[in-house]
Amino acid sequence: MTTVPKTTNNARGVAPSLWRRLSLLLRKLYARPISAIGTTITLLFILAAILGPLIAPYGENEIIASEARQPPSPVHWFGTDNLGRDVFSRVILGAREILVLAGVGTLLAVVFGTIFGLLAGYSGGWLDEGIMRTFDSLLALPALLLALLLLGTVGQSQYSVLIVIVIVYIPIVARVVRSVVLAVKPQGFVEAARLTGESQPRILFREIMPFVYPTLSVESAVRFSYAIFLIGSLGFLRVGVQPPSPNWGLMVKEARPFASLVPWALFFPAAAISLVVIGVNLMADGLKRIMS
Amino acid sequence: MTLTRSEKRTILEINELTVAYQHAGEWLEAVRDVSLCIHGGETYGLVGESGSGKTTLALAVLRYLGKQGSIRNGEIHLGDLDLLALDDGELRQVWGSSISLVPQNPQSSLNPSLRVGDQLVETLRHQRSLSQQDAQTQALKWLEKVRLPDPGLVAERYPHQISGGMQQRVMIAMALCTEPKLLILDEPTTNLDVTTQVVILDLIGELIQGQETGVLYVTHNLAVVTQVCDRVAVLYASELVEDASTQDLFSKPLHPYTQGLIESIPRLGDTKGSIQLRAIAGQIPPIGDVPSGCVFRTRCPIAIDVCETRPPLYPAGDSRISRCHRWHEIDQMEVSARQPTRSRIAEHISPNGEQPQTLKVNDISVHFPLQRSLSDLVRRQPAKVVRAVNEVNFNVKPGKTLGLVGESGSGKTTIARTIMGLESKTSGSIELLDLPLPDKLSNRDLDTLRLLQMVSQNPEEALNPYLTIGDSLRRPLMRLSGLSKTQADSRVVELLQTVLLPPTYADRLPGQLSGGELQRVAIARAFAANPELLVLDEPVSSLDVSVQASILNLVNELQYEHENSLLFISHDLAIVAYLADLIAVIYLGSLMEISAPGDLLQPPHHPYTEALLSSIPLADPSRRGTPIHLEGDIPHPVDLPSGCPFHSRCPRLLGEICTTQIPPWQIDAESGKQIFCHIPLQELSTFQEHIVFGETSYPR
Amino acid sequence: MFTQYRRASKKRIFLFLVFFISLAFLIQACSGIPDTPTTPSAGMERQGVLRVAMQPIVQTDPAFISSDPEVIVANSIYDYLVDVTPQNTIAPRLAREWTVSEDGKTYVFTLVENATFHDGTLFKAEDVVWTFNRLRDPDVDSPTKDLYSNIENIEASDKFEVTFTLREPNPFFLYDISDNHALILKAESSEPGSDFIGTGPFKMVSYSPEDRLVVEANDDYFVADRPGLEKVEFIFFNDQTAQTEALRSGQVDLVMLLSADLFRTLEDEPGLIPLQVATNSFDVVRLRSDRPPGDDPRLMQALRLATDRQAIYDLVLQGYGAVGRDTPIGPMYSQYYSEDAQLPERDIPAARQLLANAGYPDGIDLELYTPDTGNRPNLAVVLKDQWAEAGINVDVIVEPESVYYGDDGWLTVDLGITGWGSRPYPQFYLNTMLTCDAIWNESHFCDSEFDQLASLAGTTMNEQERVDAYNHIQELLIERGPIMVPYFFSQLGAISDKFADFQMKPFPGRSDLSTVRLADQ
Repeated sequence: MTTVPKTTNNARGVAPSLWRRLSLLLRKLYARPISAIGTTITLLFILAAILGPLIAPYGENEIIASEARQPPSPVHWFGTDNLGRDVFSRVILGAREILVLAGVGTLLAVVFGTIFGLLAGYSGGWLDEGIMRTFDSLLALPALLLALLLLGTVGQSQYSVLIVIVIVYIPIVARVVRSVVLAVKPQGFVEAARLTGESQPRILFREIMPFVYPTLSVESAVRFSYAIFLIGSLGFLRVGVQPPSPNWGLMVKEARPFASLVPWALFFPAAAISLVVIGVNLMADGLKRIMS
Repeated sequence: MTLTRSEKRTILEINELTVAYQHAGEWLEAVRDVSLCIHGGETYGLVGESGSGKTTLALAVLRYLGKQGSIRNGEIHLGDLDLLALDDGELRQVWGSSISLVPQNPQSSLNPSLRVGDQLVETLRHQRSLSQQDAQTQALKWLEKVRLPDPGLVAERYPHQISGGMQQRVMIAMALCTEPKLLILDEPTTNLDVTTQVVILDLIGELIQGQETGVLYVTHNLAVVTQVCDRVAVLYASELVEDASTQDLFSKPLHPYTQGLIESIPRLGDTKGSIQLRAIAGQIPPIGDVPSGCVFRTRCPIAIDVCETRPPLYPAGDSRISRCHRWHEIDQMEVSARQPTRSRIAEHISPNGEQPQTLKVNDISVHFPLQRSLSDLVRRQPAKVVRAVNEVNFNVKPGKTLGLVGESGSGKTTIARTIMGLESKTSGSIELLDLPLPDKLSNRDLDTLRLLQMVSQNPEEALNPYLTIGDSLRRPLMRLSGLSKTQADSRVVELLQTVLLPPTYADRLPGQLSGGELQRVAIARAFAANPELLVLDEPVSSLDVSVQASILNLVNELQYEHENSLLFISHDLAIVAYLADLIAVIYLGSLMEISAPGDLLQPPHHPYTEALLSSIPLADPSRRGTPIHLEGDIPHPVDLPSGCPFHSRCPRLLGEICTTQIPPWQIDAESGKQIFCHIPLQELSTFQEHIVFGETSYPR
Repeated sequence: MFTQYRRASKKRIFLFLVFFISLAFLIQACSGIPDTPTTPSAGMERQGVLRVAMQPIVQTDPAFISSDPEVIVANSIYDYLVDVTPQNTIAPRLAREWTVSEDGKTYVFTLVENATFHDGTLFKAEDVVWTFNRLRDPDVDSPTKDLYSNIENIEASDKFEVTFTLREPNPFFLYDISDNHALILKAESSEPGSDFIGTGPFKMVSYSPEDRLVVEANDDYFVADRPGLEKVEFIFFNDQTAQTEALRSGQVDLVMLLSADLFRTLEDEPGLIPLQVATNSFDVVRLRSDRPPGDDPRLMQALRLATDRQAIYDLVLQGYGAVGRDTPIGPMYSQYYSEDAQLPERDIPAARQLLANAGYPDGIDLELYTPDTGNRPNLAVVLKDQWAEAGINVDVIVEPESVYYGDDGWLTVDLGITGWGSRPYPQFYLNTMLTCDAIWNESHFCDSEFDQLASLAGTTMNEQERVDAYNHIQELLIERGPIMVPYFFSQLGAISDKFADFQMKPFPGRSDLSTVRLADQ
């Protein structure tokens, strides 16, 4: 076979610090236009989520009766809704709602999913079968349906939505991690580690995890976008969220009855959901390209 | 009357061809100024290691380089046809009809969803415009020609239903059925067993004989070249360094690289006690990064100032070329182009009285039950069992090397993995230093683990690509030897030096090392905690020829230093014979013969050993013997033949006794050889007396 | 020879293809289930199918119906003895005339003689007797059993004559006889909930709880020229916005019970006739007064002081109705409605002070429950904003109607918003919502003075006494009542202009569908 040279960059070969890795990652993400757009959108929304109350000119339920149902203007950038609330402020504050919940939920799902995936992939046998068959039955249900079923049992607070997100997305993460483990496990260095008497947890975390990280980071980004969409959908069904929460899905639902009179109250929250999901997905795409 | 070379028709002429690949914006030359000429009826060998450019050259002739590659310079003529001037349509007409290819891996070249016969018919109809009827008849005829048993049945089969050897025969049939002018073979036997390989090689030779077809045979295996080729071209780092008839090349190489290649491979009959293996110093330069002047300059034992200018292709006698400034001195034997070596000739150490055996393997059997299908369950049929290893017995003495030789499916790797605890045995016991060895890895304590280590075949997989070399080496030191981190660090430096790697490598990642370097690290890791027994499973099989020797020398040295025992596993009988103190031949899960290397070439031999020995291509073309062809394929370990496992292919089958009764172990009085056969040793000796294997054609 | 095999496998492939293609066609053909053929109309020429969009119904037994959809379905299949007109007057229906005794305790109804039930049986007095006995039977336990507890005796004084004898005089008895539940059933019906045997203008055709309920014209209806339609389909939608969309797209013809927002979007829509009628329908914000925190009257007063009813009316109702004064007696009852009592202006500092006095110096956290229909969710959110200024922090909890009106719902929560439909006379609210033993006393209010006044107003035949009593009650409720009524909303709806002669009543479920006919082109 033709030997194309191995990349001999990084002559030092020493693992770089976290900051350097992050900035390197950002640079790579911005190298291509499409992932640059996605990353920018995602970062903007994250910024909105963090700074929320600082940049929102009005409160989340600040009702100004005299300014109700006004179209976008210099005073109200996204206009006002039927009750006179500033749509722009609500969209910004909604970012915090949705992104924080989606972020924490995804993080937990990824952590637990990874643990399950590692165990299932490495142990094989009954443990593997048991875990994967259970997860298969969860995966058989569409996420929204599963979420509604679980929320019916668990109750409908924000915490239950968080739990539901975690449960809904653990199976996929576990499956992805497991497939990486299965690919890495038979390789020589894993056997060498076993022959050196390494304990199973050490092998999982030292030998196998480095292979999992690239796939996992892409999967996390994708799960994040799904979680956002799920929360939005649940909000639209007014499940797990109550007015006057600035959950974008709920905003869309509330704006529906007078969509023809006050269309901007429906458009902007809907656009927010679409935009952030697209942005995260484009970024995930870029990540995937970088990792492979 | 044989025509002289110049009178035969020229089939393929390559003139100063340069091919480059684009990588990261740069053009890297894979083939530089190569010229050669193939005549009708001639088999031309193209020899080189990885990075030599041989495959690129073959692809260039086919004009199948892909988007990354481009022909920068030169000409290729097929007869009168200028291949470089053809457009896509014309090329397609040339492919298959004027030029045929037999690729390395038949499995991936045959369409898995079409029956074998159909594929042949498809080729025939497309290339020769035959009717369906005629094409089918032709197809069957060709399947017969390539000596497939029951051609009609094979034609009905799908590719995955026939063995590798049979697949390759089908590929050969497909390549030759169109009666091309030029046949290109790209490592056609690399993936096949040695006993199958010999059959294929003979077949190719037979089919080409008397034809006007020109054959280009691309390979890295020098010995195979001697078996099949009339002429040889040697490529190194994208350049043609020597071109001569096979006879001339092997009797007297006129380039230091060729000489180095020839000398670095152990020949059948060479033992560590008789000669030194001379490895070529240094490494193959990466593509696009070759030294200026003579490409071999940095590794050449006789390089001088003039070598900094690029040598032209010197005519070096009757239809010979050499790209070495000092070829004439080599020819006149004024200078020796032998590589220096560090290895020493092993002294024979007499056994040291009553020491416990390092390893005792007692009647090991390893059987894998296959999963029963639903229909099997319903019909209450018992699960089929893969009998990978059957009642194998052997010992490894302290400080000694046991070589285990077998082909694919013989069970040798299973035995290694069972000893290491990576597989579970079905019956039998293993003792390490006279203490029973727990079956499962998890049941072995750290002290036991320290005593047993393994080096595997694939060095690329041996190290975790995310950990530095130092990290990988520290683990056994800290875990098995109980060293602290600081202690381990200094030991790591020592280890690297032992395997001739610079200490700075400790901070490198495996991706930055070559295959040979990686294997050295793997060996260093295995030796790190000073095990009693080191199992090496095909440690050099995936390495380049020139690197193999250095690894073998290294293993030898380390063993001498640490006085540990080795279990060396390989399919290559010559290498095993070189390195081992005792050789065990394994076939289909059972041992066939146990013999000392010095006695290996003398009769009596087990019939299987005999076939193995005869299938090893001799590097001396003048002594091409008639290899023994084993009929049929290696049976699958699920359908184990009764009685002697070898009876289905044994050319010296005695009779019914071989099919029904398990043979006894016979011990030859003179040599102490143990042979697992019904045939009385005396008889075997008589039959085998006149057969000569092994040669020493070159003064050592 | 491998040629034979080749031919065989080609044939096989062909056969499979034929099989699958035919299978595909078969499935295609079977999936189109043909429509049930329409019954040819006999007698009067009727035209038109009116499709009404509404929330799904739960109850079909007239004794237990409550929501507007349930009432309108029952009202088309059964008849009342007497009906209430859109102007809130009593009109004859199954009873063609009646007399009242001097002392107001005896009522004699003369029934029509040509009405038949849908199964052909003649309608007679015994059906009326059986129906009302059932309605007041404690074992049946209909919400009306208390309503009719005042009836001493019911008898069929003749084949087509029924006499009711009361214990106490009841000035509103005729309205009570026309209560939503008082639809006349056939005597001795075994399955009143699912028989669907009535005398009404329409007959049951089919009922699919997930989809729709279909009725067709009753050819033998005893009222001449009625009904004007051939069929009515009641199509179930869970979502009001979806109902509006369906109306707009022509999927349905009539939608009622709309919120102000939805109505606004339909007002200018071509092809639709907007429907609007002033009513006494209201949303009540009620606080349980029998347990903390509501048992301290200062809390309710604080809530009152923190509320700006005008702002709510403007924002939420957008002018479709009237501002409320925290009593269930609205301007529709022109003779009883009074603005004499002083309703306090919004006063945040005073509210804070009251809260502090009541023991909540840093404010109070409350949960406000509301069903998800109509204007109520918006009202909740506006209240949350208004009350926040006074330190009253409210968590809004919106629930589906079935949950809010179910167990542990509106009759149990501390703070909730409940919708009440319009009734012809205000006594109804007092008796069912606010007296100590009221059956729907969601605020668990119990005030002896209130009970006395309510009792007086409900029994005296002296109109002036009644007026004074109601005035007094309004004053009492503003001072110490457990409820806030921010507004009375008009009933809003829209109908396709293909239809004419539809009159929506203040309680929309009581609208009479038998008058509707196709508009003249």
